[in-house]
Amino acid sequence: MLEVNNLTKRFGKTLAVDGLSFRASPGRVLGFLGPNGAGKTTTLRTLLGLTLPTAGSATVEGRPYRELRDPVHVVGAVLEGPQFHPGRSGRNHLRVLAAAAGLPESRVDEVLRLVELEGSANRRVKGYSLGMRQRLSLAGALLGDPRALVLDEPANGLDPQGIRWLRDFVRARAAAGHTVLFSSHVLAEVAQTVDEVVVVSRGRLVARGTVEELTRDAAASIRVRSSDPERLRAALQGKGITADRDAGEWLSVHGSSLEDVGTTALEQSTAVYELFSGQQTLEDVFLELTGETDAGR
Amino acid sequence: MSRLVSSELLKLRTARTFWGFAAAILGLVLLITVLGLALGDLNSENSVRSQLSTAAGTALLVLVLGVVFGAGEYRHGTIAWTLLVTPDRVRAVTAKALASGIAGLVLGLVVAAVTAGIAVPWLSVEDSLRLSGGELAALFLGGVLLTMLSGALGAGVGLLLRNQVAGVVLLLVVVFIVDPAVSAVAEGYAKYSLSGLVTALSGGPAEDVSGDELLPFGVAALIWAAYTAVIVAAAAAITARRDI
Repeated sequence: MLEVNNLTKRFGKTLAVDGLSFRASPGRVLGFLGPNGAGKTTTLRTLLGLTLPTAGSATVEGRPYRELRDPVHVVGAVLEGPQFHPGRSGRNHLRVLAAAAGLPESRVDEVLRLVELEGSANRRVKGYSLGMRQRLSLAGALLGDPRALVLDEPANGLDPQGIRWLRDFVRARAAAGHTVLFSSHVLAEVAQTVDEVVVVSRGRLVARGTVEELTRDAAASIRVRSSDPERLRAALQGKGITADRDAGEWLSVHGSSLEDVGTTALEQSTAVYELFSGQQTLEDVFLELTGETDAGR
Repeated sequence: MSRLVSSELLKLRTARTFWGFAAAILGLVLLITVLGLALGDLNSENSVRSQLSTAAGTALLVLVLGVVFGAGEYRHGTIAWTLLVTPDRVRAVTAKALASGIAGLVLGLVVAAVTAGIAVPWLSVEDSLRLSGGELAALFLGGVLLTMLSGALGAGVGLLLRNQVAGVVLLLVVVFIVDPAVSAVAEGYAKYSLSGLVTALSGGPAEDVSGDELLPFGVAALIWAAYTAVIVAAAAAITARRDI
């Protein structure tokens, strides 16, 4: 169980996390979403004891990470950013961690096989691709076969096969009763992997629920391509219907029906080339919740 | 604690930096030993002591190695891994300082072995070995203690500052500017300076330190150990409160 309770973190005058609360439970994959600078990494680093909270708490199985007696068996983490000595081989990086954790060297070979990195294990890390470094990070996280995983952008740099492998791996961990919390900006990937989603923006929680709940609750938008989108937009707005200009001849219409949009176009003598109701994706919901729409940028 | 120290020693052994420093120290010892014996004055006990106390010349390199090792984790970001496995930061910092001290001890043994292996036969042949077996043993053991304490102190400085360049520059400024300047204006300070302690520990003659009296070996060792303990404790206390 990973729990963040009313967590606040301030760096000088910058409020990175503002009263955030959520919980990741065993047997579930919790996606942690938010735009850059939303406080995701700060939250995860606080959960892992690397950053100290200004207020509130972040706990692992009910205790702050720093109080865990045997952390490698409790939580494994993949962090964002540089974290390897470039001149040390991948195998030696893991041997160092295993030695500190009191794990046998045979476990190093096991995790190298698990992340399919055994062929490159004796090469120096500076020669690794981004994807190989991510696999090495994951190998480090798995050394102690932990009950929970905290993964910060684990799909970064992975090729499509790697991403699929990661998805299957994460799902298998959850199916085995482990807790998985992972942040990602690859929303299509998140939608296929997680059981639940927490969305943060500017350090605050803006939504929580399953992907189905979030996309169902969001109003579906209508997309229409017409001969005079600006005239159609003005007419729709005259009826109190929100319509946004998209690229080319497209409009996105919110809070209306196909019939109303078609009728309005007919009233304006505007030819309609395409008209359909689009199901909201997780990305649509994310952009809407975090204010990252085209108009908002 | 032993597994943390083992892990830190493995970090040292599996990076080229340590082996580069070890090679540099070996080369330096060979150079100063051979040149000192070939060109130096061997007519008094003090001059012979000066030629044999090669640990003094290598202590600065071991100090720099300690700084590089202590601050290196911050440079490469590996400190996050270290603290994920060992969330108790005081233990993590202490283990690194201990490992750096052990590395210094090993390098000190190499320095002593190389110096003794070359200098003792050379001086014997020239009938200039003016020290007894006990005095030689004390001199070389003092040198080993010096490099051990230097490794630990350097790591403490690196962990405290978290920046390799800043740590090395600070060290050089203290050794080559601050200590000589303070020694010049404050009578009696020289024996407490790093140079004074180095000479006292490595068995060199008092005339190597501005003509000031040297502290007794045991007192010098205690003072250096106290410097190390204070800096490592400060590094541990600050690391415990830092965001990583």
